[in-house]
Amino acid sequence: MPIAIEELEALIGKPFPGGTYAIEPYQHWLMMDAVGGAATRTGTANPMYVYYAALAGMGISVDELFHLVGATAEDGPMFGETTLEAIKPLEVGATYSVSGGITSVIRKEGRKAGVFDIVEFRLELRDASGELVGVNTNSFIFPRRD
Amino acid sequence: MDVTVGTEVPPLTIDPVPLEPMKTVGALLQDSNPIHWDVESVRALGMGDRPVNQGPNNLAYVINMLVAWAGGDNAALRRIQCRFLGNVFGGDAVTARGVVTAVREENGERLADLDVWLERSAEDRVLAGTATVAVG
Repeated sequence: MPIAIEELEALIGKPFPGGTYAIEPYQHWLMMDAVGGAATRTGTANPMYVYYAALAGMGISVDELFHLVGATAEDGPMFGETTLEAIKPLEVGATYSVSGGITSVIRKEGRKAGVFDIVEFRLELRDASGELVGVNTNSFIFPRRD
Repeated sequence: MDVTVGTEVPPLTIDPVPLEPMKTVGALLQDSNPIHWDVESVRALGMGDRPVNQGPNNLAYVINMLVAWAGGDNAALRRIQCRFLGNVFGGDAVTARGVVTAVREENGERLADLDVWLERSAEDRVLAGTATVAVG
């Protein structure tokens, strides 16, 4: 039996541990070299770092997030949607604090897909002064097979 | 920048989607999923015989297209929302595209709203969404 929807809904509003993420210059260079962006070690970071920093600094791993919602990578979770809001440019070499948690859980049933859950979580990035500089919202789709 | 509704962003093609960077990205993101670098794992899951590109890489291609359109200004992208519609495999050819749907002023700034997507072909979009870019 899949995890009870009530158990999932109880996670809404409970914050992740949170943490910090430093945009290390060498990592920015390597990541941009890998995905075809401008491989730099100074200046404004590529906007993808709203996502990279948020996921790396939320205080739990993606595997732990899967476990939290009663799933594992072997269940075949899928990345549904992502939204990156860049309020202020991120800087290579700077450190950002990350906070957030699960904001919604929707259980659906499809004729072919069977039962699945859509779990959304929202992460905020703040700079050293506490100013909100970026927001990343993601949803994962979890197939719930018996 | 001369931007009006219907303006098409110069497309960005990645052909082929390279294999080696998936290993770098896996290490940097601490992504333990072997489908991105271990062909045997991909085969065992019945997903073919080529590694699966990390989903964020596909988003990065679209963002790189938009940053290049903005003259290389990483600060120009204000917002992007995308749905992941399908897997991209190592060796695929994909093209990021975008078209302006609105141009508006907000807080004294000129912003362009766009439809954006990544496609293997015109009929095969693997990622689609919307974006907002400051256009000066």
